[in-house]
Amino acid sequence: MLAFIQSLLDGILLGGIYGVISIGLSLVFGVLGIVNFAQAQFMMLGMYAAWFAWDSLGLDPILGVPLTGAVIFIIGYAIEKLLLQPVLKAPPVAQIFLTVGLMILLENAVLLIFGSSFKSVVVSYQQSGLKIFGLFISVPYLFAFSAAVIVCIALWLFLSKTWFGRAIRATAQDENAAVLCGVNVKQVYALTFAVGVALTAIGGAVILPYMTVSPTVGGQFAILMFTVVVLGGLGNVAGALVGGLVVGVIQSLSAMVLPVQLQNLILFMVFIGILAFKPEGLLKEA
Amino acid sequence: MKARIFAKAALCVSLLAVSVGSALAADNVKIGMIQPLSGPNSVFGVNCQRGMQLAVDMINEAGGIKSLGGAKLELVPADIPTPNTAAQATQRLISREKVSGIVGHFVSSSTLAASEVTERMKVPLVTFAFADQITERGYKYSFQVTPKGTVFGADQFNYIYDMMKDHGKAPKKIAILYEDTAYGTTQAKGLRAAAQAKGVEIVVDEAYPLGITDANPLINKIRATSPDIVFPVSYFNDALLLIRGMRQQGINIPAVGGAAGYVINDFRKGLGEYCEGILSVASSNQDLAPKDFVDRFEKQYGVMPTHDAISHAVAVDVMAKAIEKAGSADPKKIRDALAETNTCDGIASAIPGKCVVFDKNGLNTKTFPILVQWRGERLVTVYPKDVATSEPVLPQ
Amino acid sequence: MKFKGVTLNARTAVYLCLAVAFLIPLGMDPDGYLLRIVSMVVLFAAMAQAWNIVGGLANQLSLGHAAFFGLGAYTSTLLFIRQGISPWAGMLAGGVVAAVAMLLLSIPLFRLRGHYFALATLAFAEVLKIIAIHFADLTEGPTGITIPYGEPSFANFQFESNTSYYVVIVALFAVVSLIFWKLSTGAMGFRLRAIRENEQAAEVSGIDTYRIKLGTSMVSAFTMGMCGTVYAQFTYFFDPESIFSMTGISVRVALICIIGGMGRLWGPLIGACILIPLDEIAVNTMSDVAGLGPFVTSVILIAAIIYEPRGLISAWERLRRRAQKKHAAQSGQAAGAV
Repeated sequence: MLAFIQSLLDGILLGGIYGVISIGLSLVFGVLGIVNFAQAQFMMLGMYAAWFAWDSLGLDPILGVPLTGAVIFIIGYAIEKLLLQPVLKAPPVAQIFLTVGLMILLENAVLLIFGSSFKSVVVSYQQSGLKIFGLFISVPYLFAFSAAVIVCIALWLFLSKTWFGRAIRATAQDENAAVLCGVNVKQVYALTFAVGVALTAIGGAVILPYMTVSPTVGGQFAILMFTVVVLGGLGNVAGALVGGLVVGVIQSLSAMVLPVQLQNLILFMVFIGILAFKPEGLLKEA
Repeated sequence: MKARIFAKAALCVSLLAVSVGSALAADNVKIGMIQPLSGPNSVFGVNCQRGMQLAVDMINEAGGIKSLGGAKLELVPADIPTPNTAAQATQRLISREKVSGIVGHFVSSSTLAASEVTERMKVPLVTFAFADQITERGYKYSFQVTPKGTVFGADQFNYIYDMMKDHGKAPKKIAILYEDTAYGTTQAKGLRAAAQAKGVEIVVDEAYPLGITDANPLINKIRATSPDIVFPVSYFNDALLLIRGMRQQGINIPAVGGAAGYVINDFRKGLGEYCEGILSVASSNQDLAPKDFVDRFEKQYGVMPTHDAISHAVAVDVMAKAIEKAGSADPKKIRDALAETNTCDGIASAIPGKCVVFDKNGLNTKTFPILVQWRGERLVTVYPKDVATSEPVLPQ
Repeated sequence: MKFKGVTLNARTAVYLCLAVAFLIPLGMDPDGYLLRIVSMVVLFAAMAQAWNIVGGLANQLSLGHAAFFGLGAYTSTLLFIRQGISPWAGMLAGGVVAAVAMLLLSIPLFRLRGHYFALATLAFAEVLKIIAIHFADLTEGPTGITIPYGEPSFANFQFESNTSYYVVIVALFAVVSLIFWKLSTGAMGFRLRAIRENEQAAEVSGIDTYRIKLGTSMVSAFTMGMCGTVYAQFTYFFDPESIFSMTGISVRVALICIIGGMGRLWGPLIGACILIPLDEIAVNTMSDVAGLGPFVTSVILIAAIIYEPRGLISAWERLRRRAQKKHAAQSGQAAGAV
């Protein structure tokens, strides 16, 4: 029983992170209607930004979240204006493959700048853990999870309380109506994309205390992120968070009865199953 | 449109530069280098490239290939990030660049794919990769300077078992964790068999996917079964996740790594002081390699040469000696010279056992795996006893 | 009338040139790099054509065609090395296995469109990759399979000279293209076009859209499976990681087709003629700097998609139309002057 609760706990901590890195993907799809295959590469960019801040300024990756978020926000904004805007009205295939091109571009740009070696940070709490009622909680996971929760609350406040957040939601619901209400849709697109990739980047930054970063780290998370957003419903922001938790728990619990090697098999079966029987996701409405 | 024209022009210029370059270097003997220079394994590939380039430089400075009038060696790189691209790249090196032989690749599956081309094109391939399959197909043009993967696995277990037994605390139950690649599964196979032969109980025997993002399920299994030793066979990211995860949960069971991720400089950087005392199996080590090579490597690149860089340098040296002996740049003659290799000096002597002699399958019969341990920023050889440079600090 | 005659002749000339172009590699050095690249170009054109059947005709965006490719390769190779069954028969068996897999996948997923279908197929290829790695007794596991090189013989699908492989690959491309052409013209092509334009309207006017799309997709999977067999025989070695690769196979074949022109007979060949050599040139000239090659190709790729989202064949046609219009306007003016 203890083992079960332990796995559940591990899954929830992990799932919170999966949620945060995936929210951006869902947000971008919900507003721009684009499945961004390069989303995971922004997570990698976030990890590099956080690593760079740690390496040169000695900034803890979790405390450096605002900086990482800001840097990736700017990069995301520029990429949307330069590359995505021209294909927003193009057929979906062109959009998909533009983001695939972007994925290769980002990975190799980083390889050219930072080289191939694995980067990781050294922080004081890295190897520590808590023991409560026989349950183990690793401190870096706990910090990352807490940061993820705070970021989610901030996003919720932004979307519901600010004018711009409302403009984003309005555009997601009905673009034409938003235009009629005086929303500059092009600007909304650019800012949504920038916010979306910055969120994913922040998710990358907070896991840096226990993960390492290399140019291809995004690939390890890409399919995981798709699974999360499909579970939650493509375009559904709250759903992505739920999807993240579900994926984290499935990954963690399936390892109790099955070889770890097959954990992704279970995940993909669930993924295909959801697409087949409930393509709108687990949560029906945003 | 402009961008495209510019790109085209750039390509033409670089093509031209390459063809001019190769025309000027007509007298050089070309050796093809296949490594993952981009993609997930590029950190290893770049490391290997450094070792190989340094070996080439040192051979050239020592007078090049004397039987060919002092001809210089030239390394022609080909980036092979995934096995998909191995065949084309190898073919290009052979028929375009006219290389006399090929050295590499770090990854077993890419080596296997490349060897299908070298075998049919009759060009020798000297490799470091150690999946058993490489030397079990009876290929005439593939040579491997390192031991087989299953041997690595077996010795990863046997060495530590013997060491601990000498101190009266032979392990009774162990855990094997390995990534599900050709390298991981082959080595785990050897480990498993060796443990079973000693009657040691294997309480965890788990493969995990290469791109694992969370090691906690594995660590929970270890905690539940509390083995005496953990044998992780992993590349880098997973290695760090495992060791850090164990430390976070206060598990101090000693880990004996399976080369790859455990013996590179980034591992030490990533773990900091927690790296101290971690053991791993390796194909070679800096304290067994010729001092001039190690010193120069450190001066040039600012880091300690790790086993992949050293063993690839050995492979280059073996190839150079075969060219010297053949007195020809003809791949077939070099292959015949390679088959009769019997060398115990120069950079080639960096390999444990000091010598390289190939059997009929192209496997080096003189070498064996070694056990290395992190001490500060360096790796020292601690087992087998006759080659060890330091006493092992045994896990408590 | 006369105008039509001219285009007919021009078209014949184009086909003649093309036929000659396919003959040129027969004179190349059989052990040469060039022949290998040309073979890869045509093989990838065949794979992209197989994708074109589902992507361009049935209008279902698959990002998991590596699944069918791998099924073909594994089926024929395992039958050959374990049962001694000729890869030629294995090729058909592989095609059938691939088509059945498409059927099983499609029954629950076919009502999905666009992005959703793309994601589902992507996950399907990943599932097969994990199975191939895990169930080593069946598939030889992560190490991959080496096809033993015996006496070259037609029955064993093993040839002395690479030129023979080239011929086989060209034949494969011809077969897949013929199937594509058959499906895209005549009554079938009409129905598929109707479905593509407006699925509901097609349904209402009595076209069984579900069965037609399903059948077309199965044909696509079948041909992709055949390509897998040829690839395995051509390279002699494959492993799960590379045969079920998302970026190496699934995305690449779709990309080739899209760059060239989706739903067009010559799109895949045009795409392959551009993309494969581009990758090779990048790798050949920029291996010295890690990452530079893929970086440059991705920049070119993004530029191409932004410049012409509907594929290069459309760009070319647009240019031609413009030229024709100009020509017509000029001759019209001339006539007016007289």
